[in-house]
Amino acid sequence: MAITGNQAGPQTIAAVGEGPPTEVVRLGTAKGNWFRRVGWSHLVGVLALVFSLFPILFVVSAALNPVGTLSSSQLLPTRMSLDNFGAILSGSFPRWFWNSLLIGVLSAALSMFISACAAFAFSRFRFTGRRAGLLAVLLIQLFPQFLAIVALYLIFADITNLWPAIGLNSIWGLLLLYLGGALGVNTWLMKGFFDTIPKDLDESAKVDGASHAQVFFGIILPLVRPILAVTGLLGFIAAVNEFLIASVFLTDDSVKTAAVGLYGLVADPQTANANFGLFAAGAVILAVPTVALFQFLQRYIVGGLTAGAVKG
Amino acid sequence: MRGCRWKLAVGAIVATTTLGACGGGTGDAGGGGDSGLLIWAGSGTGGDALKQVAQRFGEENGVPVDVELLPGDELQTNFVTASQGNNAPDVVCGAHDWIGNLVQNGTIDPIQLLPAVREDLQPLAVQAVTYNGQVYGMPFTMNSLVLYRNTDLAPDAPATIEDLVATGQQLQAAGRVTEVLALPVSDTGNAYFMYPLFTSAGGYVFGTAPDGSFDSTDLGLAAPQAVTAYQQIGALGEKGQGVLKRSISAENDLSLFTDGHTAFMVEGPWQLPNLAKSSVPYDISPVPGFADGGPASPFITVDACYVASRGEHRTLGQEYVANFWSRPDVQAAYQKAAEAVPASLTVLDQIRDTQPLVAEAADIAAQSGQIMPSIPEMAAVWDPWGKAEAAVVAGADPRTTITAAATTIRGAIGG
Amino acid sequence: MARSTVDVDTARPTGSPPGGRGRAGLGVGSDGTSSPLGLVLKIAALALLAAVAVWGAVPLVRTQNWIGLAVLVAVTLLGFYVYLSPRTIPLKYLLPGTLFLIAFQILPIVYTVATAFTNFSDGHRGSKEEAIAAIEGASVQQVPGSPVYDLTIAADGDPSTGDLVFLLADPTTDQVFAGTSDGLAPLSAADVQRSDAGRITAAEGYTVLDVAQISDRQDDLTAFTVPTDDGAIRNQGLSSAFDGAPQRAYDAGCDCITDAASGRTWTADDGNGAFVADDGQTLAQGWRVGVGLRNFGAIFTNDVIRSSFLRIVVWNFAFAFLTVLITFGLGLLVALALNNPMLKGKTFYRSLIILPYAMPAVAMYLVWRNMFNTDFGLINRILGTHVNWLGNTASSMVAILLVQLWLGYNYMFLVITGALQSIPKDLTEAAGVDGAKPFYAFRTITFPLLLVALAPLLISSFAFNFNNFNAIYLVTQGGPFSPDNPSAGGTDLLITYTYRLAFGGAGADYGFAAAISVVIFLIVGVISVLAFRRTRALEEVN
Repeated sequence: MAITGNQAGPQTIAAVGEGPPTEVVRLGTAKGNWFRRVGWSHLVGVLALVFSLFPILFVVSAALNPVGTLSSSQLLPTRMSLDNFGAILSGSFPRWFWNSLLIGVLSAALSMFISACAAFAFSRFRFTGRRAGLLAVLLIQLFPQFLAIVALYLIFADITNLWPAIGLNSIWGLLLLYLGGALGVNTWLMKGFFDTIPKDLDESAKVDGASHAQVFFGIILPLVRPILAVTGLLGFIAAVNEFLIASVFLTDDSVKTAAVGLYGLVADPQTANANFGLFAAGAVILAVPTVALFQFLQRYIVGGLTAGAVKG
Repeated sequence: MRGCRWKLAVGAIVATTTLGACGGGTGDAGGGGDSGLLIWAGSGTGGDALKQVAQRFGEENGVPVDVELLPGDELQTNFVTASQGNNAPDVVCGAHDWIGNLVQNGTIDPIQLLPAVREDLQPLAVQAVTYNGQVYGMPFTMNSLVLYRNTDLAPDAPATIEDLVATGQQLQAAGRVTEVLALPVSDTGNAYFMYPLFTSAGGYVFGTAPDGSFDSTDLGLAAPQAVTAYQQIGALGEKGQGVLKRSISAENDLSLFTDGHTAFMVEGPWQLPNLAKSSVPYDISPVPGFADGGPASPFITVDACYVASRGEHRTLGQEYVANFWSRPDVQAAYQKAAEAVPASLTVLDQIRDTQPLVAEAADIAAQSGQIMPSIPEMAAVWDPWGKAEAAVVAGADPRTTITAAATTIRGAIGG
Repeated sequence: MARSTVDVDTARPTGSPPGGRGRAGLGVGSDGTSSPLGLVLKIAALALLAAVAVWGAVPLVRTQNWIGLAVLVAVTLLGFYVYLSPRTIPLKYLLPGTLFLIAFQILPIVYTVATAFTNFSDGHRGSKEEAIAAIEGASVQQVPGSPVYDLTIAADGDPSTGDLVFLLADPTTDQVFAGTSDGLAPLSAADVQRSDAGRITAAEGYTVLDVAQISDRQDDLTAFTVPTDDGAIRNQGLSSAFDGAPQRAYDAGCDCITDAASGRTWTADDGNGAFVADDGQTLAQGWRVGVGLRNFGAIFTNDVIRSSFLRIVVWNFAFAFLTVLITFGLGLLVALALNNPMLKGKTFYRSLIILPYAMPAVAMYLVWRNMFNTDFGLINRILGTHVNWLGNTASSMVAILLVQLWLGYNYMFLVITGALQSIPKDLTEAAGVDGAKPFYAFRTITFPLLLVALAPLLISSFAFNFNNFNAIYLVTQGGPFSPDNPSAGGTDLLITYTYRLAFGGAGADYGFAAAISVVIFLIVGVISVLAFRRTRALEEVN
């Protein structure tokens, strides 16, 4: 018990800030103690890891297998080589990858900002049409988007004729399109979080003479940093992985995103199986920026109000 | 206030785009900066070979040529939508069974084949791209299913399905293979792969009119032969001999064959380049039929290039499709790059010695193949037909199953 | 429109007129922008807005698109008004997103709803004129017995403005001609130079065009033919030409298409957008017309829809609800476990757990489908079973939910992890310390607060999964299907089922699909509005 207590001690203090390490008092035996404090977390974590990773191991092993196919893949690769990575990196993939990063970062940042603005309005102001607006945002998401691609294509065909720079075959056009969804799910998500921040905070700031913009940028946004980071990450992943609309919009090889290019490898059932190794290599590379971004954002996600307290 | 400018900039951009959305429609395609010939093709097999051929056209004519490869399963729909939005490429290349739908949407133009060109092409390939009496595309490859066999395990080509099953079951009993045959069925069925067996047992998809065109009112699945054919197929299924299985699909059949788990595989000649990379010794032969049945006829599919009706550079598109692709040297260049079954007879003669298996696949198609119908009604057939086959393989009653499929298809075609 | 009733702007600092006074003035600082930096940024942004508006206006003016220009001006003015007026505070925050939403989400929906009242489908996409052009164009045939000429495209005079001329060589007779819009005239062999293959390379009095020049004159070329006795000579590409005549022609008098060879006629049926012969046979190329409520009528009279609809609706709701429930449940459990302040290696766990969300979903659906394979799939291999997972309804429902769980719980995990940080620590600590029961603190403090933050998300997650086409289509394709009904499968959602109905005929039927979309939307919309009303209480918690 003493050993465990010593180990946990500094962590506990760090986590609860100035609170005394009172937990020690109510703990049982050393073993049960360890399990109740940390062990169960490890157990859940490990199980979640196994569940999360085993299909991905499939993909990784297909990527490492020079003759990797979808169906012959095993959990562990039977042959190891970087052939697939070499092959995919020597083609158009680096270009696609760059396009994906560009559109992912811009789309995530702008969407996050747009939905934060909207969530602020919906959470902090009471205006005519507020509830109707919120409801409309939700209902729009519910509409089955069968014809969306046709309609969007026709809209963008007209845009292309007028302003080719933001039309079809332009990642700027695609970026605009993605921003169309910015007011969707994320506004709701953020509004929920904005609602948890006590109104007293902005009330007192207003009394001190802060304008609405100062309340928004100076008080609210820093407080909801975790959720900004989360929506940013989600927006990045969504933009990087989106291929249904992008594959219709981006036909020129030089403007394709990685998801479109990779999808092209497996879209045709005749070649899906044989191309799976290449595809898997591309998918693994494409996951790297997402993980890196998560690493970077993690400090904001878990930092939040108690920044610095947890050094996971 | 840091974010204000973003807010405003974004707002400004939206303003302009909203506009395009609301106010567009009268826009003119003008504005110069034409990029030359634009070609759309599928990103699957042969895409890179098409790029090489197009490159050559550009060099010969001194025009820029751009080949854009789109995911193959969406290419047709995208092309039709792009034509509607006046944003179509000049040329589109794809399977001949798109023709019916492309024509009903007014998206491709017929071409005139010179007599010399017509003579150079395989007659079935020309027939495949002929629709309502007009030739719509220039064929460049022609495929039909063949039987691949592992020559270590099965040195001789089986003459009938019964032979094949006997050989396969011997190998299975000896523990040398786990599956008798890799013929893609999948959970929702795949009528294309089952068609040779279906025809051998007397089935057909659509009747033909006297002029050789397909008659959508004569649905083969509703004919009495369809029931007997599916009884024979069902006997090979999961509750019969276990030769046909839903667990085998186009996603895993090749692996089963190249890993030596089966001695036989029914696949297209497009797998030849993939098999050449494997260590399995193999040969091809026609897909065998039932001993007491007729010949097994696989579908023939032809890939061709078409002139888009609403492309910006129609003259260049016509030149490319009708006058450039018609040349045997161009057809040969494509064949060399794609290792595909040629549509040109001249090219076929050239490769007889160097690529005997490709030539053999061409002969099998010419001798036993049936052209896959290109009428739009075919789109209504595939899905219910495949599901019916999967159900029969699973052990369902052939009569009720096929009757339900025929009813569904009739409903879709009629409505 | 949106008018602020909140008291934020009454606390505006000095430098702007108080909001209570009648009409507030417009001005760069009048909405409370107090800091110099803010003012500068605001001026720069509005200048940028103006610049973009001008940039956007140029092509509109050039193409004389006055409606477009009017919209552009209106939106720009709206932008200036909103950001200069002190009275439009909520709009300042809502305008950008709203404009995007209108352009790229609402317009497509409007388009869909409008389509529901038309026969828009393959074969009925364009206008009647386009259909006529397609019918005539598709019927052009070479005049029997006429040659295919070797063509050289030339101009009479200047390459870019001179009248087009076809320099034609007949390979069978070796004669040469000049074809103009007046007809065919023989050329003297002495006046032309020819290549080895016989094609004319130069002709006295004409300018031979190169490929680029021909490309520039595509519109002239499309309109240009050389009339002959039996038809007209038209080019096929750059190097050949043939004498062709359309076999079918439109006659405005009878509003019909006549076939020259057979004499058959097809009369326009403007109610259905098709040319129909007396015996009922229609030409494939039709056009788009309004059909009123016919598509909706087709939904309610379709036997297949009526027999399967209820079952599919029930499963659809169950699917969406269970997906939200299990992803939220597992996400919550993992988030709580990894939020343990004493846990080491959080970063490690968290980074790897979100990996499924980082992988392209389309690939992972493929991988999962293969893992469920009866004979070769990993799941049966591991469990030592021989279950046909996707072969019967109950197990394929389990399978699809498992895939949904795998793909979705990471998302919930991430969001909940973020949410947990936003809950003030002192609240949970107090409960944790006093009650000595972590679960009690969770149940009474953390969970209710989480729900406040996440209830809206859960509703929209439900909405998303209600129409989750990919999940079903890429894993089960709606299957398994009973042998006697290939159009409604055991795991079909309304949207996959609709897709099959609307796109499973002889071409895609968008009008019908749109009508079903509207009906689905009405059903799920009503239910969501009811659910939304129940969250009214939640949203006021503070």
